[in-house]
Amino acid sequence: MTAPEYAVETRDLTRRFGNFVAVNKVTIAVRRGEIFGFLGANGAGKTTTIRMLCGLLKPTGGEGRVAGFDIGREGEKVKRHIGYMSQKFSLYNDLKVEENLYFFGSVYGLPERQLKTQVVAALERFGLSDVRQEMTGRLPPGWKQRLALGSALLHEPEIIFLDEPTGGVDPLARRSFWDTIHRLAADGKTIFVTTHYMDEAEYCDRISIMRDGRVIALDTPSSLKERLGKATVQDLFIELMRREEVE
Amino acid sequence: MLKHFLQKEFRQVFRQREMVMIIFFMPVIQLLILGYAINLDVKHVRLAIFDQDQSALSRSIASKCFASSYFQSVQSAQEGTAALLEKGQADVVLKIPPHFARDIHSGKPTELELIADAQNSNIAGIGVGYTQGVLGRFLADEFERRLDRQPTLRKSVHQVGLRAQAYYNPELLSVYYMVPGIVVVLLTVVTTLLTALGIVREKEVGTLEQLMVTPLRKFHFIVGKTAPFVAIAFVEMSVALLVGTLWFGIPFRGSLWLLAGASSLFILTTLGVGLFISTVSGSQQQALFFSWFFMVFGMLMSGFFTPIENMPRSVQLLTYLNPLRYFMTIIRAIFLKGSGLQDLTGEILALALFGTLIFSLALLRFRKRIG
Repeated sequence: MTAPEYAVETRDLTRRFGNFVAVNKVTIAVRRGEIFGFLGANGAGKTTTIRMLCGLLKPTGGEGRVAGFDIGREGEKVKRHIGYMSQKFSLYNDLKVEENLYFFGSVYGLPERQLKTQVVAALERFGLSDVRQEMTGRLPPGWKQRLALGSALLHEPEIIFLDEPTGGVDPLARRSFWDTIHRLAADGKTIFVTTHYMDEAEYCDRISIMRDGRVIALDTPSSLKERLGKATVQDLFIELMRREEVE
Repeated sequence: MLKHFLQKEFRQVFRQREMVMIIFFMPVIQLLILGYAINLDVKHVRLAIFDQDQSALSRSIASKCFASSYFQSVQSAQEGTAALLEKGQADVVLKIPPHFARDIHSGKPTELELIADAQNSNIAGIGVGYTQGVLGRFLADEFERRLDRQPTLRKSVHQVGLRAQAYYNPELLSVYYMVPGIVVVLLTVVTTLLTALGIVREKEVGTLEQLMVTPLRKFHFIVGKTAPFVAIAFVEMSVALLVGTLWFGIPFRGSLWLLAGASSLFILTTLGVGLFISTVSGSQQQALFFSWFFMVFGMLMSGFFTPIENMPRSVQLLTYLNPLRYFMTIIRAIFLKGSGLQDLTGEILALALFGTLIFSLALLRFRKRIG
């Protein structure tokens, strides 16, 4: 099977909750190896979109493919190929650092031997070797975030979904987190990331901006800034949130 | 995959010190409390005899009554019976009318009066029953003696005697049926409540969402989430069996294997209920509330405290929907009667049906999705 050109591809993807349209006809295409920033105000529909892409939520309209699999019908296959890190820390606080890694690795069906090498590699890579026996709940937020990322990568997914990964983390830790993201992208992984920090958006290859369930802008940060005559993504974002419609 | 999941679950459960305490001390404490404190046996009924006859016969009635350990003598104040009951000094008052002995001897109809303080209907009923029993025996003996003195009468009298015997629990001790009942309660609490709380906690913390984006199989998740509580349930049952037989001296007359089998079916049902509750609850409070409702309904309608036969017809029909009812019957019958599979086929089939039904329903409702 030849790998599809796009890691994530949607057409008119829609999700309604009763009368409320949370995600309205979203059409995006994310290339493999790209860092794709997914921006928008709170309640714009970012998390709902990510949940649909990860197979957590069924779309009510349109379609989407992730890693070449249909998100509506092949949700379980999608799950094998993605890593997911939610905005809320969601590893077990009452397990040790190492136990969390072993557990999440095993959930992806890694065979025992590979599991062990992957866990050791992740501990090394994210600087967690010294705290491997610590209770996860006792780690500071920045460390927890590294652990969460490490555990989402154990099965070497092609696509990584990060939902506000740097919330509550200090600037230094954020910086090194983004270094890691760039290394992953250089290795050919696709990164799909939502954030509220506009400086982080500058690090992305392309960004999309969502408002009221719709994507109202999608391009590289520099061409968007140029088109709207703004110096920073921050100004651009504020401008777009105030305006009625673009294009 | 399953191995690591089980490892995680057992670790998480047993790392909580309070949890371990609750799990292992709860059965012992419940057994001791329910075995001793909730004692429906009535002993030392406070009996006052208001003897207006003061004859040899009336005095021997009194001494007969107080010879039994069921009664405790209360000084019968002459001020009358009403005062004794009113002050709460006596539970039952027996009034022997004047000329009682004389009337009996002359064959004149006479009446003894028995008055009970029925605020606690249980004590009143049983106290009256005891008194009637003692009096009945006494009067029968009296009658017999008089027949002996006048043998000619004997031919014309055909006496029908009633001898009551209580099988399986000859002394009618309430621990005998309380302790097996407590096993039912323990298993229900552990498997329904703890399972529901365990899953809903993951929902609250957000780890369930993290698990749902993994290829984890639903089956593995459910086995992992329930296995520790199945193990704990069987440990608690063993503790209860040991305390019941060794400490309280309750006979265990049936087959352990049959009990284990029936318990497994029962646990399938209660786990199913727990899982189902976890699918409809968004928070631990909700799960606790639903589980509490199920447990209270289940216990009250199971015949644990009050016999189902005493309930109104419509409520009796409702108890057929209660899985605890069947297991209550099964466990008491295995314990006390030594009943075998052939005696309990109906109940066991009912449990199997409930278990399969509820568990399947919970499985169907359980989705690896949110919203």
